[in-house]
Amino acid sequence: MSTSTTKRTSFTKALNDALDQGMDRFDEMFLIGEDIGEMGGDFGVTRKLWAKYGAERVRDTPLSEAAIIGTCVGASMVGMRPVAEIMFADFLGECYDQIVNNAAKLHYMFDGQFKAPLVIRTACGGGFGGGPHHSQSVEGWFLNVPGIVIVAPSNPEDAKGLLLASIESDDPVLFLEHKALYRARGEVPTGYYTTPLGSAAIAREGTDITVVATMRMVPMALSAAEALDADGISVEVVDLRTIRPYDAETVLASVAKTGRAVVANEAPKIGGLGAELSARIHEECFSELQAPVGRVDGLDSPIPFSVPLEHEILPDEADITAAIRTTMEASR
Amino acid sequence: MQQDQLLDLYRDMWLIRAFEQALEREFEQGGVPGMLHTGLGQEATQAALASQLEATDCFFPDHRCHGINALAQERHKGDGERIMAELFGKSTGVCSGKGGSLHSADPSVGNYGDNAVEGSYMATVLGVALAAKMRGEAKVACAIIGDGTVGRGEFHESLNMAAIWDLPVLYACVNNGYAIATPVGEGHASADIVDLARGYGFPCEQVDGNDIVAAHEAVGKAISHIRAGKGPYFLEFKTWRWQGIFAGEFRPEAEVKYWREDHDPILLANDALEAMGVSQAQRSAIESEQVGRIEEWITFAKESPNPELAKATADVYVGWEVASS
Repeated sequence: MSTSTTKRTSFTKALNDALDQGMDRFDEMFLIGEDIGEMGGDFGVTRKLWAKYGAERVRDTPLSEAAIIGTCVGASMVGMRPVAEIMFADFLGECYDQIVNNAAKLHYMFDGQFKAPLVIRTACGGGFGGGPHHSQSVEGWFLNVPGIVIVAPSNPEDAKGLLLASIESDDPVLFLEHKALYRARGEVPTGYYTTPLGSAAIAREGTDITVVATMRMVPMALSAAEALDADGISVEVVDLRTIRPYDAETVLASVAKTGRAVVANEAPKIGGLGAELSARIHEECFSELQAPVGRVDGLDSPIPFSVPLEHEILPDEADITAAIRTTMEASR
Repeated sequence: MQQDQLLDLYRDMWLIRAFEQALEREFEQGGVPGMLHTGLGQEATQAALASQLEATDCFFPDHRCHGINALAQERHKGDGERIMAELFGKSTGVCSGKGGSLHSADPSVGNYGDNAVEGSYMATVLGVALAAKMRGEAKVACAIIGDGTVGRGEFHESLNMAAIWDLPVLYACVNNGYAIATPVGEGHASADIVDLARGYGFPCEQVDGNDIVAAHEAVGKAISHIRAGKGPYFLEFKTWRWQGIFAGEFRPEAEVKYWREDHDPILLANDALEAMGVSQAQRSAIESEQVGRIEEWITFAKESPNPELAKATADVYVGWEVASS
C-alpha cells in the first residue's frame, strides 16, 4: 500500500475515488454507461467525474447494453482501458454474448494476439425490494466461463483497491457491487493502491470452523462469528474477494487448519459458487474434514418483490449462524 | 477502371475461387475439421474490400470470409497460406489452429477476427472505431456482415451508436439472398437492407456485389468519406452464394442459373477484360497461376504440424496460468 493516510469513507465513495484516480493515471481509460455522466450513475458511483474529465471520457449511452460492452471489447482490443457500468447486474443478459463469447475468449481463440483489459462494474444482489429484475446475484452465470475474472468486494477499502487492480488487469473483469454495501463505511487509504486480484483475505482468524463468504455475506459472517465467540465457537472468516479465478490456496489452508467449513453466498444454491467451493473442499480436504461442508445460499427461486417473501429467499446472518452450529454438531 | 487494376482484382477473385474450391474438395475428403462456409460466388465484394482496406484499418470478417482473410494476408504480409493452415487447425495458422474458419485473426493485416455468433462484432466494431476517434487516427473500422445478421438486435444498437457518435465505421453488408435457407425478404421487413439502414441518417448505398468495378468504386467512395471524418457509411452488396445448405441445392433452378452462369463475378470481369483487349491466354494464365498457388497452400497446410498440446490451455488469461491437466 503506497499511502498510510486513511479516511472514513463509504463503499460508493471508495469506488468513486478509484475511478477518479484511475482516470487521472491512465490516459487510455474511459468510463461508459447509462446516465453515468452529468447524473453520476444510478447509485452515484461516477459522481463529479463527468465535470472533471468531460463527456468524451465519461460517456453516456443509450439503453444498449450489448453495444456498451461491445464498445469496451473493441476499444480494449486496441489498447484502451474501458470501464463500463451496467446499471443492474440483471441486465447482463443483454450483453452476455459480448462478455462470454468475446471478452472472455478473444485472448485465447486468437492465440494471444488480442487482450481485453476492460472492467464491467455492476450493481448486484437483493434485500431492498427491487423485485425479480433488480435483485439477482449473477456470479453463477459467469462462474463457468473460462477467461473472465469475477471480483466481489465486501468493504470500502477492498472496493477501491480491487477496482484499481481490475483497471490495471489485462484480463476482462466483471466487478460486482452489492447494492446493500454501497452505504457501508470504513477506513480507506486516500492515495492510489491496488488490492491483488485472485487473493482471498482472512477477515477474522479462528480455530474451529471456516466460513468462506462473499460480498454482503462477509459482514454477516463476521457478526455471526462475534456472537458465537460467547458460545466458545471460534470462527475463521475468509473473504473470497475474487470469485474467479479464486484463491483455493487460502481457502483450503484455512479449512485444513479448522477442519470444518461453511460456504456462504447469496446466489441460488444449484450450480453456483457454493457448489464449487463445497466440491473443491471435499475433494482436497476430505481427510481433514470433521463434518460435511455446510452451505448457506439463496433458495432455488427467482427473487420476489414482496419484502417478507424476498427475506424468505435470501440468506442472512441467522442462516449463517445456524449452518455453523449444524456443522459443529455434525462433527465426528 | 484501368486495365491493370482490373487485372489485379481478377487475380484476387481467382485466388478466392481457387481457395474455396480446393477447400471444398479437401473438406469432402475429410481433411478439414468442423464446418465449411465458402464465399464462392461472393468473390467481387471480398476483393473490393481487401484491395482498399489498409493494414492499419480494421475489418471484422463475415461468415464466408476465407477469401478476404487470405487476400489481406497476401496484400500486407505475403503469407495467405497461413489462412489455409488455420482452416486445417495447424500450428502454422494465423491463430495456431485455435480459431479455425470462423475465428481467424491477424491484427497486423487489419483482420480483427470473425465471430461465429452472427452480429456480435456489430457491437465490437464500435469500440475500435471509438478508440480511433478518441486518438485522432484516420482508421476505418469495417464490419462485414451477412443479410442474416440484420436480424440481430446488435444491428440496431450498432448503427444507432455509430450515428450518434459519428464513428468511422464502414458497414459492408453482403446480401447473398439467404440466411441459411430463409430468403432475405422473408426474414426482414425489406429485402433491400439499405431500406432498413437509411433511418440512421448516414449515407447508405446499394451496389451490385458481383460487379467488381461497381463494388470497388463504392468501397473507395465509402472509405474516402470515413477517412475525411464524415462518420459512418453503409454499403449493401447484392450477391448470391453458390453453396446451398446441408441437404444440397434448395433454390429455384432459374435463380441458380442466373447467378452461376449469367451473373458470376468472375465471368463478368472476364468479359470486361476481353472488351479491354486482354487475351484469353493471359486470362487463363491468371486462373492457372492462382490454382497452382492454392495447391501449394493446401500442401503447406497438410504438411504443417498440429499445435503443441500445451497450447490447449495457453492464453485463457493474461494474468493466470490454467492447469494443463
